[in-house]
Amino acid sequence: MQFLSTIPPSGFSLRIVSAIPKMSGWDRVRSSRSRLGGLSRNSHASEPQPSSRTVRLGRVQPQAPGYRTIYCNDREANLPVRFKGNSIATTKYSIFTFLPKGLFEQFRRVANLYFLMISILSTTPISPVHPITNVAPLSLVLFVSLVKEAFEDWKRLQNDKAINSTLIGVLQDQKWEHIPWRKLQVGDIVRVKQDGFFPADLLFLASTNPDGICYIETANLDGETNLKIRKALERTWDFLTPDKASKFKGEMQCEQPNNSLYTFTGNLIVENQTLPLSPNQILLRGCSLRNTEYIVGAVIFTGHETKVMMNAMNVPSKRSTLERKLDKLILTLFGALFLMCLIGAVGSGVFISRKYYYLGLGESVENQFNPSNRFLVATLTMFTLITLYSTIIPISLYVSIETVKFIQSTQFINKDLHMYHIETNTLALARTSNLNEELGQVEYIFSDKTGTLTRNLMDFFKCSIGGEVYGTGNTETQKGAAQRNGIIVEEVWKSATAVHEKGFNFDDARLMRGAWRNERNPDTCKEFFRCLAICHTVLPEGDESPEKITYQAASPDEAALVTAAKNFGFLFYRRTPTMIKVRESHVEKMGKTQDVSYEILNVLEFNSTRKRQSVVCRYPDGRLVLYCKGADSVIYERLADGNNEIKKSTREHLEQFGSAGLRTLCLAYRDLSCNLYESWNEKFIQAKSSLRDREKKLDEVADLIENDLILIGSTAIEDKLQDGVPSCIETLARAGIKIWVLTGDKMETAINIAYACKLINNDMKQFIISSETEAIREVENQGGQVEIARFIKETVEQELKKCLKEAQRYLCAVSRPKLALIIDGKCLTYALEPSLRGNLLNLSLNCSSVVCCRVSPLQKAQVTSLVKKGAQKITLSIGDGANDVSMIQAAHVGIGISGLEGMQAVMASDFAIAQFRFLTDLLLVHGRWSYLRICKVVMYFFYKNLTFTLTQFWFTFQTGFSGQRFYDDWNQSLYNVIFTALPVIIVGLFDKDVSASLSKKYPELYKEGIRNSFFKWRVVGVWAFFSLYQSLVFYHFVTTSSSNGHNFSGKMFGLWDVSTMAFTCVVVTVNLRLLMACNSITRWHHISVAGSILAWFVFIFIYSGIMTPYDRQENVFFVIYVLMSTFYFYLTLLLVPIVALLGDFIYHGLQRWFFPYDYQIIQEIHRHDPDDNSREELLEIGNQLTPEEQRSYAISQLPRETSKHTGFAFDSPGYESFFASQQGVYAPQKPWDVARRASMRSQRTPKKI
Amino acid sequence: MNTNLCFCYSDSKFTQQELPACKPILTPQWVISAFMLVSFVFIPIGVASLLASRDVVEIIYQYETECIPAPMRGDKLKFIQSTENKTCNRKLIVPKLMKQPIYVYYQLDNFFQNHRRYVKSRSDVQLQDPKNENDTSSCDPEDLSNGSPIVPCGLIAWSLFNDTYSFSRNNQNLTVNKRGISWKSDRDSKFGDNVFPKNFQNGTIKGGASLDTTIPLSEQEDLIVWMRTAALPTFRKLYGKIEVDLQANEVIDVTLQNNYNTYSFDGKKKLVLSTTSWLGGKNNFLGIAYLTVGGLCFFLAMAFAVIYLVKPRRLGDPSYLSWNKNPAGH
Repeated sequence: MQFLSTIPPSGFSLRIVSAIPKMSGWDRVRSSRSRLGGLSRNSHASEPQPSSRTVRLGRVQPQAPGYRTIYCNDREANLPVRFKGNSIATTKYSIFTFLPKGLFEQFRRVANLYFLMISILSTTPISPVHPITNVAPLSLVLFVSLVKEAFEDWKRLQNDKAINSTLIGVLQDQKWEHIPWRKLQVGDIVRVKQDGFFPADLLFLASTNPDGICYIETANLDGETNLKIRKALERTWDFLTPDKASKFKGEMQCEQPNNSLYTFTGNLIVENQTLPLSPNQILLRGCSLRNTEYIVGAVIFTGHETKVMMNAMNVPSKRSTLERKLDKLILTLFGALFLMCLIGAVGSGVFISRKYYYLGLGESVENQFNPSNRFLVATLTMFTLITLYSTIIPISLYVSIETVKFIQSTQFINKDLHMYHIETNTLALARTSNLNEELGQVEYIFSDKTGTLTRNLMDFFKCSIGGEVYGTGNTETQKGAAQRNGIIVEEVWKSATAVHEKGFNFDDARLMRGAWRNERNPDTCKEFFRCLAICHTVLPEGDESPEKITYQAASPDEAALVTAAKNFGFLFYRRTPTMIKVRESHVEKMGKTQDVSYEILNVLEFNSTRKRQSVVCRYPDGRLVLYCKGADSVIYERLADGNNEIKKSTREHLEQFGSAGLRTLCLAYRDLSCNLYESWNEKFIQAKSSLRDREKKLDEVADLIENDLILIGSTAIEDKLQDGVPSCIETLARAGIKIWVLTGDKMETAINIAYACKLINNDMKQFIISSETEAIREVENQGGQVEIARFIKETVEQELKKCLKEAQRYLCAVSRPKLALIIDGKCLTYALEPSLRGNLLNLSLNCSSVVCCRVSPLQKAQVTSLVKKGAQKITLSIGDGANDVSMIQAAHVGIGISGLEGMQAVMASDFAIAQFRFLTDLLLVHGRWSYLRICKVVMYFFYKNLTFTLTQFWFTFQTGFSGQRFYDDWNQSLYNVIFTALPVIIVGLFDKDVSASLSKKYPELYKEGIRNSFFKWRVVGVWAFFSLYQSLVFYHFVTTSSSNGHNFSGKMFGLWDVSTMAFTCVVVTVNLRLLMACNSITRWHHISVAGSILAWFVFIFIYSGIMTPYDRQENVFFVIYVLMSTFYFYLTLLLVPIVALLGDFIYHGLQRWFFPYDYQIIQEIHRHDPDDNSREELLEIGNQLTPEEQRSYAISQLPRETSKHTGFAFDSPGYESFFASQQGVYAPQKPWDVARRASMRSQRTPKKI
Repeated sequence: MNTNLCFCYSDSKFTQQELPACKPILTPQWVISAFMLVSFVFIPIGVASLLASRDVVEIIYQYETECIPAPMRGDKLKFIQSTENKTCNRKLIVPKLMKQPIYVYYQLDNFFQNHRRYVKSRSDVQLQDPKNENDTSSCDPEDLSNGSPIVPCGLIAWSLFNDTYSFSRNNQNLTVNKRGISWKSDRDSKFGDNVFPKNFQNGTIKGGASLDTTIPLSEQEDLIVWMRTAALPTFRKLYGKIEVDLQANEVIDVTLQNNYNTYSFDGKKKLVLSTTSWLGGKNNFLGIAYLTVGGLCFFLAMAFAVIYLVKPRRLGDPSYLSWNKNPAGH
């Protein structure tokens, strides 16, 4: 029964399973699989096969490794493979692993580990302190962290539980049984109802909709809210009802689980037929079913193997620069600790001597006090002192900072009304709380253009048909240019024909209402309109009337074009899978309307390599036409010869449009003969069913037919700026932030936008490095790749050097104009090479704004890292699309625009805001405040622990360097966690130097953050100096004044009386010192500071008032009462804190008067202002879209020969996933299929009515 | 547009960071007034403290060398360890009227009662309760004597000060009241009234004083005082009270028993007679500190005022803004 034959390449897997008449198809499939089990190297290779099944049938077909085989509707057959179950666990811990794993996570922090070691050390007799001193704060810190972890994990667990126990209908015994999701297995047949979520990755088998399609919403995956279409294979349409579905038996061979959302390759083998599967038949977990009563599907991937789960990988968290500098500070503290211990250790070695007989240093004395071995004494004392001085490392610092940052981000940033976008009902979202203070130090902003600076709202604005320009409007760029030239632009009276709706802002009486019939070449006009109406992947929605119809498109450009066609009288109103229906007016004669159906034969889709899109359609009269639209560069090289006049004038128009900041597309068509089409179509179908490199092959086949085109004309679409962008950019520039625009657009578009955004103005010296020069073009036309590369590299090198030299000259000049650099992607490729990188960096850092155009996502990331790593500056990237993801992840701070274009940028970002202009609030207000606050918190922690530890240090000198502790164990352990913990958090939350509105009014204040004025070593030095001073005051004032009797009774104080006195002074002073550091004092400050001091007194009253059976030496028994019975206590309590604070007070007085910080001046200027809580202003949107003058200046500055630009900017962000393109997969999602299948909806609707 | 927007935020002054706050600005006026205020408060306190301290009459007599017979001064240690008679008679002249009570202190120097080994060498539970007399783990090396526990154990008790003083005036004995020289809390709670010394100073080397085994620890006030270890290596401890007034220029005869060994570590010994004021003993430090700080603040207030006059800066002068100083804005 062996059928031997040659083995076809595995990429092209049309698998023939030969039939044995007696066996049912299912059994055959199964038996052949079991044979294959031995051949394939995937997971089930080693599974034992039941011998009854090892019947060899059919041909031996090796599977590519890494393919999985699934038997649909046959749990038993799938059993040996042991696919993973469908339950998911996103929790980090289980009950058993929580403690070990959680603790392990905590001890990965150096500070915690250090304290663990100190705690262990403090259980040895070497320690001067009770273990509690170190164990208590450590446990508290760990407890807080673990509680937080547990809480978060608990929430995840609840979430998982809810998801895992959602019910789903599964086919069992010809019935739909409801079982929880977690019991679902690979191969099960499930039914998902309308609005239900898919429980796993499913193979779409059947739908209640005719034509086997269904609609899904993928918002959970990519944030796109428009519905997508999936279509089942025709072969499986019938398996809809339980009885039918139970007859479905099939074998599925598909790729192993992976994380690529937009790709899927596999085959379904059903009744000897091998059917290729595409992403079109796959319903991914996380999506939900819409507009479909129910669907039936077979489970492919379950649980953690679903694509959405494979995608849920932890993005490595970013750490802020300040935190990294904090590590250095901690290291310095370790250094100080070591030094102190060393001094103490040497001292102890010198001190120890038998002459102090009262210390009982006999022959048998333990090593640490054995005068015979002074070196050992010193070494052991070293350890003693490390435990004693361990408080110098602020253990609760990290917990406090985290708490502060967490509240800052969740309560302040996420809820700020200033960053509330009313139109989309979006608030800002801090997706991480690690980077709040980083926002206060940003020096470079890398911004995407489309969707970030501009609205990504496209209006059809102008067009050129058959060499004639239509459209009378002026862009703001042109208005500005005209004004600069002194021409007063008269507002053109809008003719009665002018229409302005979403996507259409066009006015030309020559084209509207059928007037085009009287134009020079009405036939071209007709082709133009038809091309607009037919060649697209748009879905019509709503009523089929021009007023009510709306279009759903993946890119707004497309919607604008179809809307334009509608307004020209070519209403595209319905789409069926194979047809496009257009209601054409004025074609036959004026005023007449007719419905025409065009059969869509093929769609050659848009992607960024092709830069064009084509449709092959058949007219009702049988005419075969290919309509094509795309970038001028690709269209022109595919045009048929002849018609040079039109080509030339259209190119001129394209340049005009481009320089006016418009986005252009070229339209062309080609009549096809039947034979030509048929032969081509065969190749196309072949390519389409190939399993490997399908996309690439499709592109190749498409190239065969897309030539000999006839140019129709071009369109021009206006790209609108976002609200408030220019003023925001101006503000940010004043704040000392340099803004770079990185865009895929052409140079002119980019420059225009840069002008519109006030990034560039005429006072600036502009350096333009472009690859679009005659010289380069010439070489490109002749030379080979190597030659071109060499030539461009040389040119770029020369240019860079020239510009650099010039820049340096400008910088030395008296007037010092600001500089701007404009560079395009091709040049950037070479400029980013290691040999030129230095020059590029040098030049660009001297420029206040940089525009990089025509850059790829990768280049965006490269440029970002260049500045981040090369210049060591703090960078921020902001973008909205998938193509910005790499840049967002590369920068110190990534910001996503939570807007229209999908969620991928937001998913990768650290912060998400709705509008670019909210950057002002995010950076100048929240960022700056966070920076100030965190600096203050860190400095204060540093100060309070250093001060505390130093008093211990001074005491060491007077105890014979024995390491005797000064403070009671409990006092010392609670110092950090109770007596000084809360106020600093309050400061971290509430401290405000100037109000939010002043922060924005004086953006220059932000420069203090860029200069890092508040976290310099100088600042640390000042704090350290006052720590030293204060600790000396505490120690010496308290001890010196304690050397006598202290009231009429003449009794003397002991060690613990003095230390309690000193401790009281420290707690009071340290808390008051914080108040002195505050810029604004709310009642919370008062409460927390007073509360902390009070807590100390309450504690000591109770603690020293009781005797416990527990073994503590009754050191502090009654000390506070003894102390408080003397005047000495009160006099010292008044004197010491004031003397200690006097130093800081003088320093602040002098500093403020003679070397004021900027914010202090601002405080003074506005000291009489009332609190500006002007709430009514909040939701007002400042519309700063005033046309900026002279911004097309840059265009005129361009070298004329380089002005071959035409504003091609068509992009369709929804189509392409950046990830997919990185993996070498092109255009993974099929907008065309989406569009075609969606047309079913418009068919259905009339039926229902 | 959707008019029925979901305002999913809490519109509080907390989240909008607009909590009412006072914004203190450290203007020169504030600085000067703060200084003035401090000086006005501190100078009177300083004066009062100094006056109180000045009222205290204090006689300090350093005797660790003088009380050794001149021939023996070459090897003081040998003398103190010998069994010779260590009585030493001296006369002190009362400089001023000393009102009773007159406190008698001894002051030791270079004696590290705060040494870690020393501080922990005691057993508080043992002192409180006879049941715990075996709890001597922390008392090494003075924990056991011939296998039975020492009460009170540890180095502190062992090294109890044992110089004694007696005073007479015109051959009339001045009683030194040794009751009530320790803090009440120590007496009542730390030292049990049913704990009696045991095996104390039984060892080969005597560290210091012996204790009367018939008197409970709570009444051994010298021990109680001694065991409240001092903070610094120079310390005074209360020895007793003389409860009669001493007139100016009276001559007091002091009979010292110079027993305590401070010679091995070059410690000084002083006898101090002192009256007290409301502030306690003679201690000029607080008064001087208050006066100094008060004076300094006054001076600073003046200095700041002068500086502000000489080099004035208008409050909120925009020309001080960094970006106005440097128009290039780098």
